[in-house]
Amino acid sequence: MRKIFFILTVTLAFNGLAQTNKSVKSGEKFVYAASYNMSGLMTQLAQVTMETETVKTSKNTLLHLSCQASTFSKWDSFFKIRDLYEAYVNPQTLKPSLYKRDIVEGSYTKKEKYIFKNDGRTIESTLTKKNMQPVKKTFNVGGSTQDAISTLYQLRNIDFNKFKAGQIKTFTVIFDEKEMIVSAKYMGKETVAAGNLGRKQCYKISIAAKTQALKGTDKNIIWLTADNARVPALIKFSIPVGTGQLTLTNASGI
Amino acid sequence: MRKLFIVLAFIFAVLGIAFAILPMGTIGVLPIGLSLIFGILAFVKSPEGQKNIPKWLIIIAALILVVIVGRSFVPDEVQKDTEFEQKKVESKQEDLKDLEELEGLE
Repeated sequence: MRKIFFILTVTLAFNGLAQTNKSVKSGEKFVYAASYNMSGLMTQLAQVTMETETVKTSKNTLLHLSCQASTFSKWDSFFKIRDLYEAYVNPQTLKPSLYKRDIVEGSYTKKEKYIFKNDGRTIESTLTKKNMQPVKKTFNVGGSTQDAISTLYQLRNIDFNKFKAGQIKTFTVIFDEKEMIVSAKYMGKETVAAGNLGRKQCYKISIAAKTQALKGTDKNIIWLTADNARVPALIKFSIPVGTGQLTLTNASGI
Repeated sequence: MRKLFIVLAFIFAVLGIAFAILPMGTIGVLPIGLSLIFGILAFVKSPEGQKNIPKWLIIIAALILVVIVGRSFVPDEVQKDTEFEQKKVESKQEDLKDLEELEGLE
């Protein structure tokens, strides 16, 4: 599930910080069924929920982005997953102030927190693992580097209508305290099933990164609905241990 | 050959039972389908009076198949996890504190 999330986030991450948010609204809720290919048959393992909500602090109004993965109840007795990825971002620019990752996968647990300081150029991270004291670090990153979740949403602001098939966009994402260059290749349009939205014409985007987590060429693909909301309708991934997909089952608040 | 078919039908039936117990979904159809095929072949190859074992293997495989197919119609659901929900609420309170502190630095 960590790898799935990595791919999901890397798949959606990019460095378009200058972009103004037009697609992501407060109150959105996307529900996905996560399936894994077992002996040629897709088996549903977990539900992934992506939600947005407005959060007010004493000085600012922020957008809270969350991505949650929970195994279906039939799997809980065998391998329970409760992963939560969150980011608090500026609603106009989607620039992050705080990123959190809380992983519970069977007996494995991990917590990660990034606080973005100095206009996003400095990150104060806290890493907590099972039976370990929290490890704090402060490190500098490029001004356009974003956490995985905020960039996940940021991708939806790219106007792929202006892209030609084969055109590549590179972007930077920070994951596991490492900055990573990832490329997104626009492959054209395709019509796919998008849960309660019906069959929708989508932008097909292939993701590549210099990491062992991704396998194959054009095997990690995301389909974004070709409308103003640009909802991720389908995500297919290929990792060293197999292949799988996230299928949109329900989208609301768009 | 008859014995081989019976052994194979038995092995795949056991695998099918294991898959039916585990939440493997429709993957269980693979071993149970093979069990049915080998069971039927064993039944065909068996002389009169020796069809009892393959007959029961076929019946068992068919029953497991019904269970697996029946379960595939049950919708997948996430159990309500109050502990997890509580953790999220507490986490959010902590986040707001962090954000207020961050704003205090700006």
